Amino acid sequence: MIIAVWAGVVLLGGAGAVLRFLIDRAIAHRVARPFPFGTLTVNLSGAVLLGLLAGLTLSYHVSLLAGTAFVGSYTTFSTWMLETQRLAEERQLWLAAANIVVSVILGVAAAMAGQWIAGQL
Amino acid sequence: MNDDCLKLTAYFGERQRVDGRFFAEALLNLYAEREVAASVMLRGIASFGARKELRSDEWLSLSEDPPVAVAAVDARAKMAGLVEDVIELTPLGLVTVERARLVSGDVTKFAVPEQLSEAAKLTVYVGRQERVDGVPAYIAICDLLYRERISGASVFLGVDGTARGQRHRARFFGRNVDVPMMIISVGGGEHIARVVPRLGEMLRQPLLTIERIRVCKRDGELLAHPDVLPMTDEQGRPLWQKLMVYTSETALHNGAPIHRALVRQLRTSGAASGATVLRGIWGFHGGRKPHGDKLIQLSRQVPVTTIIVDRPDRIARSFELIDELTSEHGLVTSEMVPAVVLIDGDDRIGGTGLAEYRY
Repeated sequence: MIIAVWAGVVLLGGAGAVLRFLIDRAIAHRVARPFPFGTLTVNLSGAVLLGLLAGLTLSYHVSLLAGTAFVGSYTTFSTWMLETQRLAEERQLWLAAANIVVSVILGVAAAMAGQWIAGQL
Repeated sequence: MNDDCLKLTAYFGERQRVDGRFFAEALLNLYAEREVAASVMLRGIASFGARKELRSDEWLSLSEDPPVAVAAVDARAKMAGLVEDVIELTPLGLVTVERARLVSGDVTKFAVPEQLSEAAKLTVYVGRQERVDGVPAYIAICDLLYRERISGASVFLGVDGTARGQRHRARFFGRNVDVPMMIISVGGGEHIARVVPRLGEMLRQPLLTIERIRVCKRDGELLAHPDVLPMTDEQGRPLWQKLMVYTSETALHNGAPIHRALVRQLRTSGAASGATVLRGIWGFHGGRKPHGDKLIQLSRQVPVTTIIVDRPDRIARSFELIDELTSEHGLVTSEMVPAVVLIDGDDRIGGTGLAEYRY
């Protein structure tokens, strides 16, 4: 059982990372703006999903697989930080600040929305 | 000094593979095998090509396949034999062939050819760790260029290349002593003529090229439009032109860095069929002293160069756009490119016959 769960963490973790890459790249090709909308989309949708999962009463193993493994690797803190730093590097200070403020405010709202949806189910 | 040299430049995306290895690797292997006098591989920060695919380091997932430019210079006989091989090897990209003068060995007695009296582009190839009187060679060279009132210079860090026929490739662990760097500078013909012998005294084994260009804009001031060229020469060979826009990474136009705005607008407006942006590590233009990054800083202080290669009619349209975006900053130069081939799989646009046109 334990081995099956850890194997699931490996697989779902990998799937989350691949999905993030595909979504981010698809948005990047369409939007082509300096603001990192791809990472924002990924982090916000991940926050909704994690809020939803937290709101549902799931067993320990299921929440480990869906929450920590899948959503954990799907969303990305490091990319958010790197892209903010790259904006600042090119003196895009307003966009860099907006990337932090917008992500935090909408991110918290997204997690709350996820939990609210779970409560309605 | 060899008056009759060719410079071959390939622009492509780094992730492309041929026969199970990276195309860039295969290309540099070819240059090493033929002992090309000078070649350097530069990694860019943004680009788009004929397929309009955007490459950019602004987004992490787009920076996974960065643009690359590989320039190689040697005597005409050697390069002419290489052109077809390079085109054959290239899966998707742009290959340009330009005439250049390669200066190496004893250059202490150098007279600038009359044709270059207007303005010239001087490119110097040095090793990463090469030193002149205890100072890194690229810094010493930029100081000299600045003192001799050259309009601008940018230093680009190569990741692979050949120098005097020897392969030098950057490694993660290693001092990378001889991995080539490329220093591109632009100035009046007589200034360049004064600088070349001094470079000969400074460097152990100088390796440099000189090309004819026209300075179109300096610090926002319009000096001249790019030469108006016909679409083909008398033999019907297509003519091409190249624009190079030298700006600072932090020079903004309407709140956006000029090089980013250029790539975005050239791509969406359809004015240009492609553009590549290279980021330097050191340089100067617009009267400021040579500068680069500092240890503690938020914004970077490095030069960037945007390169556009196209047919004369499209160059005229791209220039209008560039003129608008460089209303305060930037150095813009134009030059003729006698042969260009656009490669997309088995499709080829353009040819390798060098166009002849006096202007």
